[in-house]
Amino acid sequence: MDWDQLELHPRIISAVRRCALSVRAVLCLSAPDLQRLSGLSRSDTQQLLTAAATACRRHAPLPALLSRGLQSSLRLSVGCPILDELLRGGLPAEGVTELSGESGAGKTQLALQVCLSVQYPTQYGGLNAGAVFISTEDSFPVRRLQQLIRGQSCLRSDVPPSLISSLNFSDRVYIEHAADLASLQECVSRRVPLLLARGLVRLVVVDSVAALFRSDFLASDWLERNRQLLTFSAALHHLSREYSTPVLCINQVTDVFSSSDSLVPSSSTGTPTVAPALGLAWANQVMVRLMMWRLQGTVSRGDQSSAPRRLQVVFAPHLARGGRGAGVWREGVRGLTETV
Amino acid sequence: MKMQISSCSLSPAVKSRLTAAGFHFLSELRGLSPSHICAEAGVSQQEALQVLQAVRGGASMRGGTSGGGEVGGASVGPPPSLTALQLLQEEQSQRSIFSFCSQLDATLGGGLPVGKTTEICGAPGTGKTQLCLQLAVDVQVPVCFGGLGGQVVVVDTEGSFLLQRVQDIAGAVVKHCSLLVEDDEQRVAMTTFSVETILSNIFLVRCHDYVELLAELHLLPDFLSEHPRARLLVIDSVAFPFRLHFDELSQRTRLLNGLAQQLIAMATSHNVAMVITNQMTTRLRGGQSQLVPALGESWGHAPTIRLLLQWAGTQRLATIFKSPGHPGATVQYQITSDGFRDADQSEQPPSKRPRTHTVQSAAGQKDSNQSAAGQRDSNQSAAGQRDSNQSAAVQRDGNQSAAGQRDSNQSAAGQRDSNQSAAGQRDGNQSAAGQRECS
Repeated sequence: MDWDQLELHPRIISAVRRCALSVRAVLCLSAPDLQRLSGLSRSDTQQLLTAAATACRRHAPLPALLSRGLQSSLRLSVGCPILDELLRGGLPAEGVTELSGESGAGKTQLALQVCLSVQYPTQYGGLNAGAVFISTEDSFPVRRLQQLIRGQSCLRSDVPPSLISSLNFSDRVYIEHAADLASLQECVSRRVPLLLARGLVRLVVVDSVAALFRSDFLASDWLERNRQLLTFSAALHHLSREYSTPVLCINQVTDVFSSSDSLVPSSSTGTPTVAPALGLAWANQVMVRLMMWRLQGTVSRGDQSSAPRRLQVVFAPHLARGGRGAGVWREGVRGLTETV
Repeated sequence: MKMQISSCSLSPAVKSRLTAAGFHFLSELRGLSPSHICAEAGVSQQEALQVLQAVRGGASMRGGTSGGGEVGGASVGPPPSLTALQLLQEEQSQRSIFSFCSQLDATLGGGLPVGKTTEICGAPGTGKTQLCLQLAVDVQVPVCFGGLGGQVVVVDTEGSFLLQRVQDIAGAVVKHCSLLVEDDEQRVAMTTFSVETILSNIFLVRCHDYVELLAELHLLPDFLSEHPRARLLVIDSVAFPFRLHFDELSQRTRLLNGLAQQLIAMATSHNVAMVITNQMTTRLRGGQSQLVPALGESWGHAPTIRLLLQWAGTQRLATIFKSPGHPGATVQYQITSDGFRDADQSEQPPSKRPRTHTVQSAAGQKDSNQSAAGQRDSNQSAAGQRDSNQSAAVQRDGNQSAAGQRDSNQSAAGQRDSNQSAAGQRDGNQSAAGQRECS
């Protein structure tokens, strides 16, 4: 932002140029400080501050009624009506959603499914664009993705088969591998913005955030780890709101030893006492926190059987705490109608 | 209050000349003519005018130099000094914003005070945003239902203001009020009190980083002047933009102090309640980790009231841990699909739902809604047992007289007895909560 674009007296502009301040830097100074630095009068300083503030503000406060129907109310379907009902339509189009759970709970399964459902047009719950899948743990399960694509016509009976066959699913899933933190930061700050800016993708999946942050740091380095974590999270938030793109982060879980922890409600249902990894620093960055559990027993559907899972809403500004049973089938993850 | 010349906002050259001429306090310049100052201090006529402007604006600038803009300095004179009695009367004439959680309202003496700053702290998922959204809707409840009929500005820094949820909460409040309609005034008020009007009276700003937040706060006083009905400003959250990207903590502290001053100035000059949310952070003290509100020690002085939301097992607890007017207390609450509510709803017979007491009691002044009044009494006796603090009782009484007619059936002591068991039950919960805290 340049000073010439602001509606200010040339005298004020030349004064502020002399002390080499940017528009944003001016706002971080108090009026007396600014007066001292620039040598401007008090009323000039106020004009300067007001002009700078107006330049930084995107819009004046708008009635919430007007923002209805805008991007922020858009939801990305997860590809199953029962789970969408739990999530009130799906993932919010703007914001970071976390999905955590033990290994084998079905987190990656659901993430892959969302990578496909994002490609449908908006009337079928998609965002009409591809997905970028940032893999930090092991190699991308490309075979499973192919299997899911073949199963789409079975999973999405609400979509006309002709539409499904016209979509080239695997061509629109971009896969990024990040083996260390440096390449992960590089990925979210350079490569992914390119894909988003070109309109090729409108979903960012990170599988998983925990892996690198847990392995690259010793316990004593927690301060540095938190700093890196915040940088990473700031990048994700930036992507999410700049391109109004849902960000889905898969997280591991960690055992909770003390039951007096006030962070998470202790479960009364006898589920194991685990909490999402990366602690409070990360939890503060997450808008929607979902957890997935693998339960005992089997459920069957047609000729297939699956271990029952449970998708649980831990917190979200718009969702009630609650859960749904689910099963992982050949064609994808489906919610169960009966309770488990 | 004597303000030194060195501390006011004049150019350094003028200040040094004034000091050299023997002026040390702004009050010494009051009543002098510009030419007199020119002659005495050897400044130009224009500088002398600036000096006089500073003298006049000095007192009103005390609150927020950067917040008020030119309007605060020149055209509006310093506010008259008030005695404590006048202040008390002024405070009592102001209604508070109730939260729909009667226990929380009771401990806060009727709800969140207008003209003060309240901070809501809590770990993620404890209900900070929910309480903010609830308050944003509650502040709009029409005056004839005991509300403020105000507007609200919501500054969203996290992107967590989801319309879907506001519609839920607004729908529940509208439905609740429509069930209470008893006279024509309320019937008329209900014709315009709908989810649509609630949404059109919520002014939403999204700030993406701390500079945008500072910019918005600089411009908000003007917006509030244009919208005199605004009674609540919500910032959800202050912590989020200030905890990202800050390597230099002294800079952050400086900005936060300035921000706190702006908020306090805005709250008093525009008569709005400030509600800000804060995150929690872990602090290591003596080898033990402890959860404390974020943004550091000096920020803790900014809000008048600090409210901590937390989980204790499967219960949600709200603790007041800083407030000049209320004793520290812990109450239970829950978050239902309708919004922020009392925890023990299900334990009560359906006819005596305590969650609605503030509104019900407002209705109760017209007919003598005995059950509603009795309900509140039971809450109060529960509160009274919780703290035997006399001044607290006085405080509450003061607010009751302020609330006025609402409490006309206060003296029905019989109801209190009949509700004693319910209160006892709650106390049982309280002591359980207390034990948990101790451990």
